[in-house]
Amino acid sequence: MSFTISSEISNKVAILTLGGSLDSSSASDFQSEIQKVAGESPSEMVLQVSELTFMASAGLRMIVFAKQKLGPSVQIYLVKPQDQIIDTLQMTGFIHSVHIVDKYPV
Amino acid sequence: METQTQTITYTASLDVLEPIRELLTQTGQEVGLNKKQTYGLCLAVDEIATNVIRHGYDEAGITDGKFDLIIEKNENQLAVTIVDEGRPFNPLEHNLPTEEDLSMPLEERPIGGLGVMMARQSVDEFNYEFSENHNKNIFIVKFSNEIKE
Repeated sequence: MSFTISSEISNKVAILTLGGSLDSSSASDFQSEIQKVAGESPSEMVLQVSELTFMASAGLRMIVFAKQKLGPSVQIYLVKPQDQIIDTLQMTGFIHSVHIVDKYPV
Repeated sequence: METQTQTITYTASLDVLEPIRELLTQTGQEVGLNKKQTYGLCLAVDEIATNVIRHGYDEAGITDGKFDLIIEKNENQLAVTIVDEGRPFNPLEHNLPTEEDLSMPLEERPIGGLGVMMARQSVDEFNYEFSENHNKNIFIVKFSNEIKE
């Protein structure tokens, strides 16, 4: 399934909704969207990922990019990631650096 | 059941990653892999194919590159091999991120090697061979290890 992304800023919170497959071919779309919301200096970033079916390491690199771009104090939330994506976050230690939640606001 | 072999040739472009995942998902379902095994195979092949396309061909200045995907199935396992003529690269000799790297704050951690680590950990066996000027990255999923979900 091809990758889809949209974003909005609401009360200083950047909400990005991701769907389909995030691989090295589609990661640049994610990067553009991060750059777009970074311009608004959000205080938190929420990734709605319940419809994200695949995420390669290129997607993880973009989470690092977001952290660097927004600053280390900006917390990143992943809302409802699928099991296989949680496995990847666990395998790579990313699980300790992002918040996995069932809904946002928590 | 004898080994059944299928070979497909792809152009070395990131556009082929999605069709490859679709083919492997279909194959995984046909041979009865569970969702976790099928996803792991797709992830592993995706990571190494990305490296082959990016580093093996693009960065080496090789245009019009191609690679083969060989799918072999028998009663015990599904094996997928990427055969390419790009720059030689052995993922087994690649330094993997250490425990220390993986526990660092995201904005500080070195990001190299993640894809190779994910590839190696997402299938039952991962092997690499270099012969007759070809890289061969081999991914094996064993049916006997199947975890019922």
